[in-house]
Amino acid sequence: MYFAGVDIGSTMTKIVLTETNHTVLSAIKGPTGPEHRQLANEVMKMALEQANLQLDEISYVVATGYGRLNVPFADRQITELTCHARGVSSLFPNVETAIDIGGQDAKCMKINNGKMIDFVMNDKCAAGTGRFLEIIAATLGVKVEELGDISLKSTKKVQISSLCTIFAQQEVVTRLSDGENLEDIIAGLHDALASRVTGLARRLKIEPDVVLTGGVAKNVGIVKAMRENLGCELFIPEEPLITGALGAAILAKEYSVKAVSKGEPSPTKVRRLEKATFFK
Amino acid sequence: MIDKSEGLSRATEIYANRSHRVKELKAEGKKIIGYPCMYVPLELITALDLIAYRTYGDMAEPVTEADRALPTAFCPIMRSCLDCALKAKDDFLDGIVAIHSCDPQEKTARVWESYINYSYFHFIDMPGTLRPEALKYFKGQINDFKKALESFAGKGLSPDKIKAAIELHNRQRALVRELYELTKPEPPLISGTEILQVIKALMSIPVAEGNELLGQVISEVKGRTDGPQEKPARLLVWSSTLDGFDIMNIFEAGANVVIDESCGGIRAYRADVELTDDPLDGLAQYYIEEITCARTFREAVLGETRKDYMADLESRFGYLKDMAKEWNADGAIFLLVRYCDPFAFEMPSIKDYFDSFGIPSTYIEYDYTQGSLAPLSTRVQAFLETID
Repeated sequence: MYFAGVDIGSTMTKIVLTETNHTVLSAIKGPTGPEHRQLANEVMKMALEQANLQLDEISYVVATGYGRLNVPFADRQITELTCHARGVSSLFPNVETAIDIGGQDAKCMKINNGKMIDFVMNDKCAAGTGRFLEIIAATLGVKVEELGDISLKSTKKVQISSLCTIFAQQEVVTRLSDGENLEDIIAGLHDALASRVTGLARRLKIEPDVVLTGGVAKNVGIVKAMRENLGCELFIPEEPLITGALGAAILAKEYSVKAVSKGEPSPTKVRRLEKATFFK
Repeated sequence: MIDKSEGLSRATEIYANRSHRVKELKAEGKKIIGYPCMYVPLELITALDLIAYRTYGDMAEPVTEADRALPTAFCPIMRSCLDCALKAKDDFLDGIVAIHSCDPQEKTARVWESYINYSYFHFIDMPGTLRPEALKYFKGQINDFKKALESFAGKGLSPDKIKAAIELHNRQRALVRELYELTKPEPPLISGTEILQVIKALMSIPVAEGNELLGQVISEVKGRTDGPQEKPARLLVWSSTLDGFDIMNIFEAGANVVIDESCGGIRAYRADVELTDDPLDGLAQYYIEEITCARTFREAVLGETRKDYMADLESRFGYLKDMAKEWNADGAIFLLVRYCDPFAFEMPSIKDYFDSFGIPSTYIEYDYTQGSLAPLSTRVQAFLETID
């Protein structure tokens, strides 16, 4: 049997297809974008092609992420918090604290025996998220993918005091005109973001093992700054973007098993790969 | 005569058009006194045959006018209240009574008074602790309020008149408690959303009419067969002000809200005012001690719990544990309005307290705008998934 987890984040759409034993058959990422939110079906087609499967072979589909309501072929919607926690604990069975830094939010989940027991999310503000780095990278004229490597060259990081994205942007411009080095400024920014996210995570009592996920975990400079701020070892999945979709696929299997044991049909609906016709 | 089966739909009607009734009364020559906080001793207003009308903000109305008078990083409810006043939305009010329940209200009241020329304005000072001197001082403040109100109304108040008003308000408190009995069955007979509308309706009409409405709602709900569906969890909600239908709907999309200890929920109705010889003693004692808003610093007053964190939590929040047990709650949501310092300071403590007796809880924050509600859904849904 096959299962699908569809994670529509603010920046990227991620799909994971699994087999009964949780073997990942395909993991596909595509930019969400303003219109792509209606195109979860396109990303799904790519994932199915890669796994060499047809849609009607999928037993259960769980949609997650902030676009979870825009997936017409999903059987169930589950929040990204529950899905991330599930995905992370399948990869790191000893995880107790999971931190996810995504495109527009940062969240921290407390996990006990593979189950999420508590969580916090950031305020509605770009500081402490991937968007913060995107905006600052544009100001500095570097690609967001390059930030990490550049920051590792820093010998003295510049203190960036403000955590508001727009104010930080102004501060960066001021620092540049002060003649500070690019790598030191970027190292300072990473530290500002890491300290913001660490502060959020401290609202839950942080216990090891700590796992960091989300697109921002691909930035080595952030990983370094997070380790320094947390003062403990930090585990990063090989592919930190797809833990939410992976968790959704694992939960899809669990719900499918539950449905079958209750004598309900699985899959629960006739599926067609079509665009969401509503925007919610 | 109103049809007995029309209680809930009448409450919905009043909720949707809150000022309709007081405008009618005003046309008949009655005076309408607005109050932004339930710490104002309404009994004195009622005793003088004036109509008390709770002023609220409006989440659906973007704050524009208040920006010229108040800072932006400031209680969004008070900002919205003042904004509505500056836009003349409550222009049927003859006066305003504000109280020092918190600093934002005190400051806003001053601005309110200076920008809008009401024929009556009064500000009651209120101590922030429960020390014996506080009670004495607060009684003096209530006495000043009484005198000012008497001079506005052009007539005096005898102790018997005040006592009669206290009895009328106590009757309302008892009826509201009876209403909350109806959320105890599984599934509850009345939803949190419906109760919210009833309570907000009560704060918009004269007390006697409110009591009549409650009687109708209670008899209707007791006999209904179309009550709320049973949801996977029963929730306790704790908040400063919860006056929006939309927020309650977010909670009730995945759960039954069975008790809301908020201003707009059961908080102002949990106890009765004692009928003391001097009725002001009973009023002072009730308003300062019995209403459990976080604005009052409930230090481990009696000394012996001062150094024991759990005993301190027990003395401050014990009533919430009793409530959670009595209404058989599976989880608790602490709803915080942004920049509400008194409630924000309580969050870590109240969370520790609920952890100590094993009821899962979460706290979520919004800024009293419609736009801040979408992220709330995800948080609420995620929380419900943890207790699933």
